[in-house]
Order: sequence, then structure tokens, then C-alpha cells
Amino acid sequence: MNEITLAFVGSGGDGAVATGDIIATACAREGLHVMKTEAYGPQIRGGESSCTVRIGSSRLYAPSDRIDILVVFNWNDFARFQNELTPADDAILIHEQDDAPPAELAGHQCLAVPFLKAAREESAPKAKNIIALGVAAAVAGLPLDALRKSIALRFAKKGAAVIDASLRAFDRGIAEATSQGSMKRLEYERAEGKLLMSGNDACALAAIDAGCRFFAGYPITPSTEVLQFLGEWLPKLGGTVLQTEDELSAIGAVIGASFAGAKAMTATSGPGLSLMSEMLGLASIAEIPAVIMNVQRGGPSTGIPTKSEQSDLFHAVFGGHGDTPRIVIGCTDVEDSYHATVDAFNIAEEFQVPVIVLSDQSIAQRRETIAAATLTHPVRERREPSSADLGEYHRYRDTADGISPMAAPGLASGIYQTNGLEHDERARPSAAFVVHEKMNAKRYRKLNLVARNLKTHERLGARQPKLGIICWGSTLGTVREAMARLGAEAANMAVFAPRLLTPLPAAPLQEFIDSCERVLIIELSYAAQFHQYLRTQIDLPRQKTAVYSRSGGKNFGSTEIADEIRKNLIRVEATEEVLA
Amino acid sequence: MSCTPHTPNDYKSDLKPVWCPGCGDFGVLQSLYRALADLGCEPHETVVVSGIGCSSRLPGYVETYGFNSLHGRALPIATGIKLARPRLTVVAVGGDGDGIAIGGNHFIHTARRNVDIAYVMMDNEIYGLTKGQAAPTTPLGDMTKSTVYGNPEAGIDPCALALSFGATWVGRGFSGDVKGTAELMRAAIAHRGFAFLNVMSPCVTWRGDEQFKELRAKTRAVPEGHDRTSMEAAMRLTSESEFLTAGVLYEIHKPTLVDEMAAIREKALPFDVLPPARDSVLRAFA
Repeated sequence: MNEITLAFVGSGGDGAVATGDIIATACAREGLHVMKTEAYGPQIRGGESSCTVRIGSSRLYAPSDRIDILVVFNWNDFARFQNELTPADDAILIHEQDDAPPAELAGHQCLAVPFLKAAREESAPKAKNIIALGVAAAVAGLPLDALRKSIALRFAKKGAAVIDASLRAFDRGIAEATSQGSMKRLEYERAEGKLLMSGNDACALAAIDAGCRFFAGYPITPSTEVLQFLGEWLPKLGGTVLQTEDELSAIGAVIGASFAGAKAMTATSGPGLSLMSEMLGLASIAEIPAVIMNVQRGGPSTGIPTKSEQSDLFHAVFGGHGDTPRIVIGCTDVEDSYHATVDAFNIAEEFQVPVIVLSDQSIAQRRETIAAATLTHPVRERREPSSADLGEYHRYRDTADGISPMAAPGLASGIYQTNGLEHDERARPSAAFVVHEKMNAKRYRKLNLVARNLKTHERLGARQPKLGIICWGSTLGTVREAMARLGAEAANMAVFAPRLLTPLPAAPLQEFIDSCERVLIIELSYAAQFHQYLRTQIDLPRQKTAVYSRSGGKNFGSTEIADEIRKNLIRVEATEEVLA
Repeated sequence: MSCTPHTPNDYKSDLKPVWCPGCGDFGVLQSLYRALADLGCEPHETVVVSGIGCSSRLPGYVETYGFNSLHGRALPIATGIKLARPRLTVVAVGGDGDGIAIGGNHFIHTARRNVDIAYVMMDNEIYGLTKGQAAPTTPLGDMTKSTVYGNPEAGIDPCALALSFGATWVGRGFSGDVKGTAELMRAAIAHRGFAFLNVMSPCVTWRGDEQFKELRAKTRAVPEGHDRTSMEAAMRLTSESEFLTAGVLYEIHKPTLVDEMAAIREKALPFDVLPPARDSVLRAFA
């Protein structure tokens, strides 16, 4: 096998998530590709938890929707995740000896192991999860020495006795499996170790690399890790992190810091973005750089805060009062969260606009492997006034590209009073139509050049496709996985995923649509926001367009998408027959 | 702040105020020019930030850096400016509705954090810009355009709020007394920490001449011997309904948010340790 997916399910205290962490770390250090996701019950502490780790010898684009090895500490806990964790037909189920699997799973190959008893016998009563880890590792053919190192690292702070007990438990687990025979084997070649990070981590790291030294935010799931990571690291780098009283204040402080000359960012999720939309108007009219990372979750309102959806799109691209130019970038995976965030800073600073990065829970909170070498991205800076500009400084000079040099407090000849009122080139308030029209044109003109120096979209597959898929954000990864699964069946397919959502790369997208016999739009939004948005931007002929959209709360699986693609390929062929 | 001599006129911008003739806010503006000149604040090292309302037009009339932002949002913006560039002198200004109604939450937390800024609230007990509706400071029973049968809500005292929110300097002035208000403003700007100055600034349009006359009659100076470090004494002075006590009600000293942020940087990375290389950030993910 060149890839394998393991899942661990238990209650708080069973160590299901910790076990997944140990595997993920070990495999990342072996240079394997890893993708790890977690899911929890609604309890703040304790309760059911599950952890899924997909491991492969080549790049992974989405979590797997089929579990090869399922380790269950307690079948009652598994019941909660039944809709999310589907064992493959040839899956191996590993479970506590005296806790029999439910009838519907009894057809699978099962390994009943006395986790707790074995742990006690090894004088490691708290390490039943490590027993299970040993069993799973042996059954899956995971790198055992790397796992031993990973266990030692995990318990390093607890001292040698705990490490020894854990390693004994691990070896006991291996022995328990071997006595029943090893059944699967992950095949891979060792490579240079990789980093393991979440989309939120990648966003925070990108902020540091882009030169952001001011962050203000209000905790909100599933974006809070950005606040926490930067709260630890920015002070070390001379920066400032402010936890504000609400999202209004967070974006306010960001706009203030940016006005004062600092690169600044906030991170939030749907309801927080709603609170920020008034300030989005201010940043837009006062032309102040601001970066907003919005991690989408199930909505509206509190919705399903711990699960993914692509339903903040309308809010990001349209939300607000007045004619409000802004930039929206959708990131497609963890690595792209890094690049999209640096892109966001570059665009915000260069064009003096608010930039929203749309991530979603599935990218933001899963951890995946990344080669450190890929985490670099050119950084661009704000246009500061030259001495000629300062001769008679006009903050909002109506330049050819719409970008006016921006002075910061401290600069003696750059004094101006900015405002959220419509204003003339010197920032003086004006209620005149001619001024409003001219300044609107100036502010929108800036958007014309945004696509320059930017990867605006991803296009993959055939040049003259029978079926062309249009998707965005995290859905791209699942579509890629589905295409890989379809193999030769996908030979006449292509995918187009815009990264730049506003302004949409309309010309290449239109060219793509025109080149396809049939178009399938795929998105995780009940109301099909992306489809509706595309209709406002481009010509999408109804007779050749299909839409597959549904609510979030459960991520797309590659099997689900592959089935949908097949259905549409059949329709293309049927149409061809009729025409023939 | 530097020692370059400045006159009040140096801070006048070429923009003509939109305020009604006789508006109390003219007195506040004059006081600010004088205070900035007295302190020798360099115009390019000073930022005046406001929200929305009649009084929030003020930054446009001051030849320093300025920011007339959104209704109620002056304080978060001022906080961002001060934290990003601590050497700047930051003055936030606005009305009572701006600061207590729509911006009330920010007032609590900016005071609590002891952000090193001066916050001048121009208080006319009415919404002037929207033409005469009740504000949180409007007294119970007052008839306004939005309370034609009389205000059903009791008004609130901004100074009492500031004291309870943790402001480290609280004062009250009357815009009819430009000299006195300028002195208070000077002290508020010079104070290290969050200084709150409530300036009674009558609205001639929606309150008529009466408000001016009443305020002038009610105003008295802080009594001799008042202990400025006593929260209890300050609360007592500000809650006497028969008087409007003008002067410094409260003044204590404690670390500002800028100080605390510097302390955090020191904890995160002691001064004799080099900033982490990028590799050490990446090690967090290895």
C-alpha cells in the first residue's frame, strides 16, 4: 500500500488524539506525507474524541473518507462519529477485548486486544492508548523506530520512568499484533523530515514572515489558534498582540495600527466578520491596509462552530454598506494558507485596501506535512511618499493607478486628517457628487492591478475537457483526490479553482468555461453561494452547467465527489450520443 | 514631545468648522490648541482620533495627524495607534452618545487597559448631528425629538463611569471656560495612562441658551483639600446633583498598556537574548 488511514476513537482520557499526534509526528519526521484531523463531542472537557491520520508516500490533498485501520477504545463513543468515520470494506477493526463491535461492523476483520489489561501487566496502567498504538503500528507497517522516538519526545517532560513505561507498552502492543499476524503494510521511502502544521499555524507563520508585528483579535472557533500562536511569538519579535473586547475593537485596533504605519492583521470567523463589516467600509474609503483571516464554519449565527462550510463567501465579497472595494482570497489547503496570507499582506500594503482571506475549519484545524523549503514568499511594502510627493502632500492624490502614497504619523511634512467621510484628494470632507464619483473611481481603479504578481487561480487537467469542474477553497483538495481515484476515467476532465475571489479572474475563468463541454460547480454551501456569485461575474450557460452543493457539517469525501463526477461524465456522453 | 515652541495658532488647520454659531465645541477646540501649544506637542508626532457626531468633526480642524473614524470606534483605533507607535501623543475626542451609547463597550475596556491616551468627551446631553434625539446622558423626563413625552430613561454620569472602569485620571470641564478647560486638557494629555476628561459642551441648537446658562450657574471648582487619589472622594464629588464640579477629580499612577506590552516582550525574550531566528519559529512544527 502506498497510503493508509488510521482512526482512533475514545473518551476524554483514553488518549485517542494523543495517539494520532504521536503517529503524525513520527511519520512527518520520516518524510512521509501526513494529514491529521480531529473531531470532538460538544463537551468543553472530556467526552468523545476521534483522531484520523492519513499517511502516504506522495502528496495528500484531502483527508481520506475511508478508514483502513479503526482503533476503538469504546464502541459507545464510536456511535457519535458513525457518520464521519466509515471503515473501508477491507478495514481492520482493533478494539478492547470485552467490548464487541456493533452488529453492522461485525463483518469486518476484527482484532480484539485487552488494551487495559496489557497496560497493567506492563506496569504502565495509563498507557492503554500506547498499547493500541503498538498494535495499530504493527498492523499498518508504520515506521516503528520513528514511533519510538516520537513517544520519547511526547513524554520527555514527564521523565525517564514514564518514557520507559510507554515504550514497554508500545512493544507489548506490537507483540499482541504479531501474535495475530500482520495484515497491511505501508510502503514508502524515507525522505527529509517535514514540518507538521495546521492552516491556522501556516497563516500565523505567514503573518510573521510578511512583517506583521501587530495583531488584534477576539477568540472565536475555529480561528483562535492564530491569536494564540501570534500571542506567543510576536512579543519575541518585538511585536504586539491585543486580545480585544469584541471584533469591532479588533479590526479597529488593526486599522489604527496600520494607519500608524504597522503591518497589522486580525483573525475571525463568520459572526466576527459580520461585526467587522462596518470597519471594512472605513478601511476601504480611508484606504488603510488591513488583513482579515476569516475561517469559515457552519452558519449562520453560532451554527456549527466546530465544522466546516463555504458559506461566508457572500459576506466576504458583497457584505458591507456602500460601494466598498475589497480583496478576497480563498486558500485551498494548509500550504496555500501560508501563501495566501503573505499575498494578503502584499496586496493590502501595496493597494491600501482591506483584504479578506477565506479559509475554513477543515483547512484551518487539520494538520498536514509541509516541506520547510516551500514556506517562502516574496514580501512587498506600502508606497511611501517621495520628497516630491511631500512638496504639497495630498494623501488621496488621484494617480493613474489609483494608489496614493501613504504617510504615517511621525513624518513631518505628511500631516493629514483622514476620515470615513467622503473626502477630496487632500482628505477634506466633501458631500459633492463629483468628488464622490472621482474617488469611487480611484478606489476601484486600484483593483485593476491586483492580479499582477499573483497566482489568481489553479487550473488542472485536460485543455479541451469534456467536463470542467469549478470549485474554490478546501473543495479543490477533495476534487483532486476524486480525480486521482477516477484515474483514466478523469482523462477528459479539468478543474478551475480561483484563489482570487474578488476581483475574480474573469477572463481565464470564462475561457475555461467556454472550453468545456459541460461544467460542474462543487461547493459546500446549501444556498450554492459560489454558483450564484459566478453568475454575477461571468457568462455561465445554463444548458451546460450543473451544480453540486450541500450544507457543511460534514466535509466532502472523495468517493462522494468521484460519484458526482461520474454521473456528469455519463451525461456528457449521453448528450454526445444524442447529437451524433 | 519636544521643546520646539508652538503657538495655539500653529495647530489650526485651514478647514472651517461645520458647527453652529455659539456651539460649545468651539471652546473645546480652542482649549485643545492651547493645551497642545503649552505642551509643545509636535504636530507630526500627535494624532487626534474621533468617532462620529458633531464633536467628532474636531480632528479635521487640528493641524496634526488626525482620524475621524466611525460612530463609537475612536478608542479602538486610538489604542491601535498608540500600541503600534508608543512615542506618538494620542488624543481621542467625541461626543457623549458616541462614547457611552454605541461605543460604551470600548470605553470600559480602554479605561481598564490604561491605554496611555487622553479621551475628551464633549458632552451636550443630546444627539446634535442627527438633530436632537435623546442620549444616554439626557436627564429623565427631558423632551427631545425622540422622547416627545419625556425621556423614560435616567441619564448617566460619564465621570462616574470612567472612575468605575479604572481610568487613572478623571476630570471635568465646561467649554464656556476655555482657560480652565485648556489647563485640564493639558493635564490629561500629560498624564501617563488613560485620562478621561468630560467637557460639558452645550448645544445651542437643540438645547437653546438655557443649557449654557444652567451649566455656568451650576459649575463650581473642585473644593480645596480634595484628595485626588481617593476613588470614594471622586465619586462623591461627581455625584452631587446640585453642582457641576469642574477640575481634576481623580489621579493615580500605574503601569500603562504600553508598559505592560513592553514587560511582556521582556518576558517572552529577555533583553540580553537575541530575537529568535526564523528556524526557531519553524522548530515549533518539527
